[in-house]
Amino acid sequence: MKKVNIGSGSGFWGDLLEPAVEMAERSDVQYIGFDHLAELTMAILNRMKARNPESGYIQDIIPWTKSMLPVTVPKGIKIITNAGGANPIQAALEVKKIIQDLKLGRMKIGVVSGDDILPYIDEIRGGGWKFKNLDTGEEDIERIRKDIVAANAYTGADLIIEELRNGADMIITGRVSDNALYVGPLMYEFGWDYSEKYVERIAAAVTVGHIIECSACVTGGMSNMWRVSERPWEIGFPIVEFYENGEAVITKTPGSGGIVNQWTVKEHLLYEIMDPANYMMPDGIADFTALRLNEEGRNRVRVMNMKGKKRPDTLKVCIGYRNGFIGEGLAFFPWPDALEKAKWAEQWVRERFKRLNVRFEELRMDYVGVNMLHGEAAPVEDHGLNEVGLRIAGRTKTREEAEVVRREATHLWTMGPIGVSFGVPLDVRPVIALWPSLVPREAVRVKSQLMEVNE
Amino acid sequence: MMAKIQLKELAFARSGDKGDVSNIGIMAKTKGIYDFLSKTITPEMVKAHFKGMIKGGVEIYPMPNLESLEIILRRALGGGATCTLRFDQTGKSMGQILLRMEVEVDQKLIEEAKATDRDIMKRYTIS
Repeated sequence: MKKVNIGSGSGFWGDLLEPAVEMAERSDVQYIGFDHLAELTMAILNRMKARNPESGYIQDIIPWTKSMLPVTVPKGIKIITNAGGANPIQAALEVKKIIQDLKLGRMKIGVVSGDDILPYIDEIRGGGWKFKNLDTGEEDIERIRKDIVAANAYTGADLIIEELRNGADMIITGRVSDNALYVGPLMYEFGWDYSEKYVERIAAAVTVGHIIECSACVTGGMSNMWRVSERPWEIGFPIVEFYENGEAVITKTPGSGGIVNQWTVKEHLLYEIMDPANYMMPDGIADFTALRLNEEGRNRVRVMNMKGKKRPDTLKVCIGYRNGFIGEGLAFFPWPDALEKAKWAEQWVRERFKRLNVRFEELRMDYVGVNMLHGEAAPVEDHGLNEVGLRIAGRTKTREEAEVVRREATHLWTMGPIGVSFGVPLDVRPVIALWPSLVPREAVRVKSQLMEVNE
Repeated sequence: MMAKIQLKELAFARSGDKGDVSNIGIMAKTKGIYDFLSKTITPEMVKAHFKGMIKGGVEIYPMPNLESLEIILRRALGGGATCTLRFDQTGKSMGQILLRMEVEVDQKLIEEAKATDRDIMKRYTIS
């Protein structure tokens, strides 16, 4: 039976590089997907590109490519990456230079772009589409229109497949959905299209893509299995063996650390989804409520009976808009009476803000070590705690007011109770808020090209 | 015999974010525990447990095939990762918070859960 092996080489911007290199060296994967984009990474990359038209892609692609290609090219492993960010063509030009410098021979790079709908968002609105906020239900983006800094559609695998058919040895994309980096090669290898006939197979591909797309998060990272994860400091990244009959095995790089078992796969199936019967991706809708898992060996979990529905008519779009500033401060109080000192300091800071007449959109205080994570659900008690921190965070309309939060927190260092301890002041940061929405699929002008690299 | 116990003893949890939505996966340690939890845990109970941290609605999706529950908490993360004042911007701790919740359960299920814990240590620990 035909089988295709695909690995995940990166689950987020800043992920580890060595597990990706080890996967290429030690396993028999045909493809490695690299996701580097979080919900608002595009807003940061757009800002970079506005300052310098030759930037706007994920800079990591340079060291990553230098380490990966000398291993992947001789083995014929194809890299599919969304590190192109807001400027996939420039990213491809940088990769082209690396290929030539390293004398890796002739290669073809497929470049997929066009997910940025901001240049023509008003045209789409002109047609009557309002970009309703999926979180808040607010009907129209009119209120935030002038503050929008990014609007990127999560596009599907269509053009990844097309460029693989055109002979691409590597694919660089913009804001293609993380999931499509895995669905694309599977659809290409098995010759599926979006017709009714392959709906279940694509749903299976969407499911396994979801399971592996966050790299170490299914191999023992962020896991309830942390106590039994083998050599977690040498954690391996996940690999899916996908079979023609629609079944798949989730495993990881041979000889690597970490763990793959029924629990780590369950954890990830449940992770960051909404309705589990309708996991919506641009290439298909997966139903996680029918599938079955079977541990068929150490670090091997088989996934069977994957079901789903045809791809939706709309694509998710992440709109980022400017929404004020956040100022933050931290101070720590040692035993004795650590919690009482923190409460005293809180009152001090609140009174200072009143005196200075700071207008907050929101102000929050946490006792570090007591309720910063558990919030209102935790009892606030001092059982002779060795130390308690006070965290002060305020969101304001202006940078000046956020600076006050930062400054008053530092004044606490010299005017607070006995023993107050502190580190380095935190920088004020601008807030780009997220407005999640949908856009009609046909309104998004995706495009692709093949870039030839000669020796 | 019934006993009052924290959810931590009966299930695993992992949580994350989608914008301002916090999603918590609850994985029962046995089939019997899943049957019990899917009948016992209600959206109202979850919302009350978080004492005002959740500004929107709560939905619970049963997943008998994985002996798990997917719990969706709307408007629970202070506006979402990039504008929230929460230190835990992406809601990773929300699942652990839910594990504090107390339920009244048959002693037999507590014993079952302990057996699963022992089995996990035995089966997966590399000697």
